[in-house]
Amino acid sequence: MIRSMIRLGVILALFAGLACAGLAVVYSITGPVIAQQQQKDLEAALKAIFPDSDGFSDITPELAGPDPKITIRNGYVMKKGGSTIGAAVKAIGPSYSAGAVVLTGIGTDGKVVRAVILELNDTPGLGANAANPNYFVDKPNKITFMGQFAGKSLGDPFTAKGDVQAITASTITTQSIAAIVKASGAAAKAYLDTTGGAK
Amino acid sequence: MSRRLSVFLQGLVIENPLAVIMIGLCSALAVTTSVANGIGMSLAMTFVIVASELIISLFRKLIPESIRMPIFIIVIAAFTTMVDLVMKAYFPELSKAMGVFIPLIVVNCIIMGRVEAFASKEGPLDSTLDALGMGLGYTWVLVGMAVVREILGNGTLLGFPIMPESYQPILFFVLPPGGFLVFALFISLNQILKKKWLESPLGCPDPEGGK
Repeated sequence: MIRSMIRLGVILALFAGLACAGLAVVYSITGPVIAQQQQKDLEAALKAIFPDSDGFSDITPELAGPDPKITIRNGYVMKKGGSTIGAAVKAIGPSYSAGAVVLTGIGTDGKVVRAVILELNDTPGLGANAANPNYFVDKPNKITFMGQFAGKSLGDPFTAKGDVQAITASTITTQSIAAIVKASGAAAKAYLDTTGGAK
Repeated sequence: MSRRLSVFLQGLVIENPLAVIMIGLCSALAVTTSVANGIGMSLAMTFVIVASELIISLFRKLIPESIRMPIFIIVIAAFTTMVDLVMKAYFPELSKAMGVFIPLIVVNCIIMGRVEAFASKEGPLDSTLDALGMGLGYTWVLVGMAVVREILGNGTLLGFPIMPESYQPILFFVLPPGGFLVFALFISLNQILKKKWLESPLGCPDPEGGK
């Protein structure tokens, strides 16, 4: 009985070991490419929010989010010619299907510069329209769902169908994204206030 | 008809994993909201099933009966993780669109079912053919459903608008109930094909292959 259990255990360990070896090989090839890809995505996203910036530095450990459901992943302070022009915060929060990742840029005046969705798995045609550049919540002015956050003051309530225009039939997505933007904004503003934007 | 060919053809219509065996449905209904997702999911799933059936068939005599399930899961999970990593590295856009469904291939019942019912008993060549047949059977139903749902529900095909400007997308089709409806239509389509197939010379009952 014991012997057969040991035999089965050893066989299982052998299979697991082989699988590990295979995965290690694939990971060692793809790992650097994935890291590079993520770095490129991040730089492109930061550049899209602060086109004037000429550099950024990581301030992740100094940030604290006000909402326990929304996790602050990373934060960056954006520089231009040595002076701070704002901060960008990447945060993940619950949305309709899975977690949504949003990058929010806050200017030194405490207003949202721009917010961009990095990851969203909500229903195509509904919630996914939050990230669709051709879906306008304000059709005459061609303002996209994320576009409406630009210039918004952090003191606003950020409620769906209130001061945030909702995506048709997707109030949950609307509210979730708005909450992530608000929480990220608050974290970034707290940082900018304590450092006086002079760091 | 040769036995090998019939092993391969089984999965396409007669034993289509989605429309006849009806397993692996939840991810199928979830990803068919757009054609690009459908194609990505089908390719990933076909790769994993072919690789897993081949490996398990090669090692089938070394796998003790009592611990076959954990070993199957290890093999399937290893291949799925490889697909996930490769997609993240070289097709980041597709990987983002597929989200959680790639890791979920691990628990896709089609792969587990075919590994258990076929690859653990048959030789490597037959197992590969079975896996290819099942993979293609999965692919045509998945991509077909995605085409119908994306055109009707979003007015686009592969992201390009193809319906006239005035067309108001029927959101129903991208929502789960629409998915069930379209799936039901594909089950009936497959039944018609199956009937035609069995009447044609291709479908002659084969004493060895037609299980």
